[in-house]
Amino acid sequence: MQARRQWITPHEWMIKPTQQTEWIEGQGILIWMAEVFSALGMGLYLVSIYLDNWWGALAAWFIIIFLKLPFHFFYLGRPWRFWRAIPPFTDAWKTSWIARGMFFTTVFAGLAMIQLITTYMLNHNMVSEAMIGPVTVLDYTMRLLAGLFALLTGIYCGFVMSYCKAVPFWNTGLLPIVFVVMGIADGLALILAVGLITGGVDFHAIEYASQWALILNVILIGTYLINASYTSATAEYSVMQLIRGKVARAFWIGVILLGILVPLVVSLLSIFVLPFMPLLLIFAVIAHTIGAFALKYCVLKVGIYRPIISRVPVH
Amino acid sequence: MKWGMVIDIKKCMRCHGCVAACRVEHFLPLHITWVKLIAYETEDGGVLDVTTYPVRCNQCKEAPCVDVCPTGASYQRADGIVTIEANKCIGCRYCVIACPYQNRTFLRKSSDPGYFPGYPQTGYEIKGKKLYPHQRGTTTKCNFCAEKIDYGLENGLKPGIDRDATPACVNTCQARALTFGDLNDPNSNVSRLIIQRHGKQLQAGLGTDPSVYYVDGKHGGNDNKAPEHAMTGSHIQHLSSVEDRAKELFPWLKRDNE
Repeated sequence: MQARRQWITPHEWMIKPTQQTEWIEGQGILIWMAEVFSALGMGLYLVSIYLDNWWGALAAWFIIIFLKLPFHFFYLGRPWRFWRAIPPFTDAWKTSWIARGMFFTTVFAGLAMIQLITTYMLNHNMVSEAMIGPVTVLDYTMRLLAGLFALLTGIYCGFVMSYCKAVPFWNTGLLPIVFVVMGIADGLALILAVGLITGGVDFHAIEYASQWALILNVILIGTYLINASYTSATAEYSVMQLIRGKVARAFWIGVILLGILVPLVVSLLSIFVLPFMPLLLIFAVIAHTIGAFALKYCVLKVGIYRPIISRVPVH
Repeated sequence: MKWGMVIDIKKCMRCHGCVAACRVEHFLPLHITWVKLIAYETEDGGVLDVTTYPVRCNQCKEAPCVDVCPTGASYQRADGIVTIEANKCIGCRYCVIACPYQNRTFLRKSSDPGYFPGYPQTGYEIKGKKLYPHQRGTTTKCNFCAEKIDYGLENGLKPGIDRDATPACVNTCQARALTFGDLNDPNSNVSRLIIQRHGKQLQAGLGTDPSVYYVDGKHGGNDNKAPEHAMTGSHIQHLSSVEDRAKELFPWLKRDNE
């Protein structure tokens, strides 16, 4: 039985695949920003503590506290009730990824602050001889815990979306992994920027790690799209929107060209062909960051609901 | 008890009476509707057919909106009704995204411009906002007229049978396409309809187990005729003495505001 036409058009979302708008249009742009800064902050923090770069860790902490959280805060319809979503004021963390995320972010903020203080004290010889041992242990413990909670802060954004059965394109366990790997690649790009300002960064090693992260990204994004194409008709429709539809320009130019190809080519050139060129690095960092914004934009934009009345063909 | 609804899509005639009755019952802002209708035309072997689906919150047993709510503002009552405690809602809209039936609406400022935008609020609106306050910046949805059910049960009435304990949309449906009752009672009108006429849930494959079932007239007979005294709730809009009439019609709301 084929649908000929439908009317009462204000509610055509019931029978056609319809794009979600709450988290990308109008005030929803704030969610897009918050999602991007979650990934950037997580990636930069993990890379920074691995490379023992205090300035990078500080920048990551600022990104999470002063960019991610305010964007989330101002998105809320009732911002001053935000505390209701943080355990122990709610027990919804058992099922709600937003409540879990609020918890992860709050704990990360505290642990990372302690880590920043202890590392700074150790780096500037502000600890007495007798206290160096305990403070070093505390510093490493905080690095480990803050790193874990940074990872959770970055990964929960993916789980928030992948939990939604209503949006088949998001409803896959691959989404959090894509976000984390892209976030780490973002972190590698941002640490280059930090290194250009503060020094003390092995650009060659980071470029080398960055190219592998980008190649992994290409594989993951490709797998994700192929997987989505076979999941359901609505998810396939999302993929079509991404590669050929309204979002195609943002995907091909933003995610693929600027987010992956440009940084990959620059990284290969830096390693094998050209001498160290700061301007080229700055260009690659900017391109990669635009790619981070584009990826989250595309994923949010093609979040399409499956039609409620299933007897009508999807498209 | 687990309240549920059966909708006969063969009986529905797209009069929008349920939409209007719901709006009046809950003093809904201009751009908010809890009940929605969708109609589409199909062709089967050269025969045209028009199908109408009245949809509202499905009061799912495994409600995704309840699971995702970070504050516990969305919760499920013991009788299966999924409701929102507006004072706890932070307006994150996760429930709006997670609802597979897209039956939750975020109440933003632009959704509530007043019934006559650009003009002062009418007495009806002012009184309505006191009787049934909707908070901007929070999410709203159908609650099966839970306040009527509670009021009815407290007063010995039976939801689905007695008008004062039955959702407004069910009361007002002139075609008697809507039936309300207890899904846990095998002898209730809804349970019998679901069994005899093969009731179906929307998107049952998602595992949400909705409490709203649809029967399409292909099974069973027309045994649920409309009573002669069927009254449309939308008539209330035209009453001159809004305050007195509202108190008379909605005694369950009056209690909380006096």
